[in-house]
Amino acid sequence: MTEPLLSVKDLRTYFSTEEGIVRAVDGISFDLMPGERLGVVGESGSGKSVTAMSIMRLVEPPAGEIVTGTVTYHGRNLLAITEDEMRAVRGGQIAMIFQDPMTSLNPVYTVGDQLIETIMLHQDVNKRDARNVAAQALSDVQIPNAADRLDDYPHQFSGGMRQRVMIAMGLSCNPEVLIADEPTTALDVTTQAQIMDLMLRLAADRGTAVILITHDLGVVAGFCDNVQVMYAGGIVERGSNDDIFYRPQHPYTWGLLGSMTRLDEEQQVRLHSIRGAPPSVIDLPDGCRFRPRCDFATDRCAQELPLLRKIEGRGEVACHHAEELDLEITRAVGAAG
Amino acid sequence: MFAYVIRRLVYGAVTLLALSMVVFWLLQKTGASPLDRLKLNPRIQPDYLASLTERYGLDKSGPEQYWIWLKRFVTPREASIGGLPSILAISAGVAYSVLASRFIKSRQFAVRIAKIGAGVLIWGFVLFTVWNRMNIVLDWGDSFRGDGPVFEDITLAAGASFRLGMTALFLAVMIGIPLGIYQATKQYSFFDQLGTTFSFVAFSTPIFIIGVFLQLGLGLYLERWTGVKLFYVAGMTSSSYESFTTLQRAGDILQHLALPAISIAAISLAGYSRFQRASMLEVLHSDYLRTAKAKGLPRRRVILKHALRNAMIPIVTLISLDIASIIGGAIITESIFGWPGVGRLYIDAINAVDYPAIMAVVMAIGAGIVVMNIVADILYGVLDPRVRYE
Ligand SMILES: Nc1ncnc2c1ncn2[C@@H]1O[C@H](COP(=O)(O)OP(=O)(O)O)[C@@H](O)[C@H]1O
Ligand SMILES: [Mg+2]
Repeated sequence: MTEPLLSVKDLRTYFSTEEGIVRAVDGISFDLMPGERLGVVGESGSGKSVTAMSIMRLVEPPAGEIVTGTVTYHGRNLLAITEDEMRAVRGGQIAMIFQDPMTSLNPVYTVGDQLIETIMLHQDVNKRDARNVAAQALSDVQIPNAADRLDDYPHQFSGGMRQRVMIAMGLSCNPEVLIADEPTTALDVTTQAQIMDLMLRLAADRGTAVILITHDLGVVAGFCDNVQVMYAGGIVERGSNDDIFYRPQHPYTWGLLGSMTRLDEEQQVRLHSIRGAPPSVIDLPDGCRFRPRCDFATDRCAQELPLLRKIEGRGEVACHHAEELDLEITRAVGAAG
Repeated sequence: MFAYVIRRLVYGAVTLLALSMVVFWLLQKTGASPLDRLKLNPRIQPDYLASLTERYGLDKSGPEQYWIWLKRFVTPREASIGGLPSILAISAGVAYSVLASRFIKSRQFAVRIAKIGAGVLIWGFVLFTVWNRMNIVLDWGDSFRGDGPVFEDITLAAGASFRLGMTALFLAVMIGIPLGIYQATKQYSFFDQLGTTFSFVAFSTPIFIIGVFLQLGLGLYLERWTGVKLFYVAGMTSSSYESFTTLQRAGDILQHLALPAISIAAISLAGYSRFQRASMLEVLHSDYLRTAKAKGLPRRRVILKHALRNAMIPIVTLISLDIASIIGGAIITESIFGWPGVGRLYIDAINAVDYPAIMAVVMAIGAGIVVMNIVADILYGVLDPRVRYE
């Protein structure tokens, strides 16, 4: 078995706010294999972004703090190395793309300036070579007249084009890991598919592993190898694409799948949906965090926090009753997307 | 951009014209006459009053008086721009600007820099040519109080106000802006809280209290205790200034300037640091700063390159408008420190109902605001590429 590229163990990131301690990420562990495409799904507020920011060590003190955990990357714990060492990893070996391309680029510098800056930071090249690398990066993301467009400012690009620039910037230093945090959420549907396609193809060409964060199961279905589902700061289910979409085991995953709509269906029926609202991660219930919204909850669920465990022939799930429940998938949600 | 500046200047001229009408009309409506005080003096002969009435045109209707004032105001006493060389130079400058903005459209950085650079060179040459040849002496009408044209009074007063105002602004900007930046990067630290406290105290203390305290503390008691006269509490120079050497003069100017400048600077420094802090904090929480950090840039670069320029955009506007307000003088501070600036000239002119002088101050302030607004907008465009002058 190959070694994981990135290994997260018992990561906990809390924020102190006026209302209390926000346990945004509360004890999650997962491995990312070289070249893997890992989808992270969950409702908004479930801790997906904070997970990513914690790996990048970009959680802002004093409010935010990584309380415990390790992030092992090439034998080093990223949470323990010095800031200077971490800077070499950030952008160079682990790159990140954010949700809103309209605000993620600095408006007062040209796109070329911002690309060249990144390249020169992580590669031993002079300015002229960096410019060529930057132009190549832009043309790789299929921006026409790439060399000329280096001198344009972000506001001269459309939203989709700006996200291409962000992808170019993320991949320009050939990172081993690309974390994409809802990279297409802010874009229109037709652009979404193009951008996602482009990003994953470029990542595959370079052998870059991708952590794709999204709340859109459709996106994950089409593009990922493995999926983990987050709920209230924890991982509730993990498995291959097929595990999650054909053999879901957690009532939450099942609910998420049920609330997916498919355009090719004649009747847009919602077979089941999740009742209630996502919990506040300030006052988490004892026991299973999903319990208040779960149709199958028992007394045991109120007392004991279910841990993630492997089920034979299926994926991993954090539910006491995984074996008993028969969460039938009434609609086919294919991995073909 | 050339067309933009010209258009803004035309709008500005129209604004100033409207301003002059309104102020002149308001002055008439007050019913006060420059002769009121003389009339109270029993020794002044009625025919003298009558001659003054005629000389000042006070017997004419309001619109007529305005018209007479306006003609004097816009007609320079002497004016020549220096003949053919100047005209040729100006034509060349205009021709370049028009052609360049019409035909050089590329946004390539090198092309843009070359275009702007050539423009600066050509206009520099034009100014140099014209400046050496032209002879323009403005007039702005005669003061009702003295004898000379008010333009001379206002130039002197504006010079004094400028010296004080620019020094204070310089201090405020040089200290307030770094302070605000530092506070923002260390939000809620002890130093940040200290700065915030200082700002609120300084901002809520009236300037006459700060001024008088400085006069007492640094002016009076310091001398009493140490026997050294470091600061003067009134005036712009000593009476024996003319006989000083250059070095002594510089020292004398600073000794007079220090206290009033510090008084003004203390308050405006507080304002600048607050404003800079807020604007910096906003930028520090922006998405593009997160991107900059995620790229692995060192914190210094993130702040000095990515945050600062964005955070400075609103501040530049603030500074430009502050410079405009300097032309109006600092009425209270100038009174406390006996500073012969525009503020004092304004008070004196109003007390004497000196129409041309009042109008001169109003128009100078108005022109300053118009010009500095244009400057602010141009600087805005330099700092923020999203701004276009169309
Ligand atoms: N800077 C912060 N201060 C306080 N709470 C935060 C901060 N950032 C995130 N949170 C909280 O952490 C939780 C998880 O947020 P996030 O990871 O952004 O969710 P998502 O899954 O939508 O990306 C949310 O409840 C959010 O309110
Ligand atoms: Mg998020």
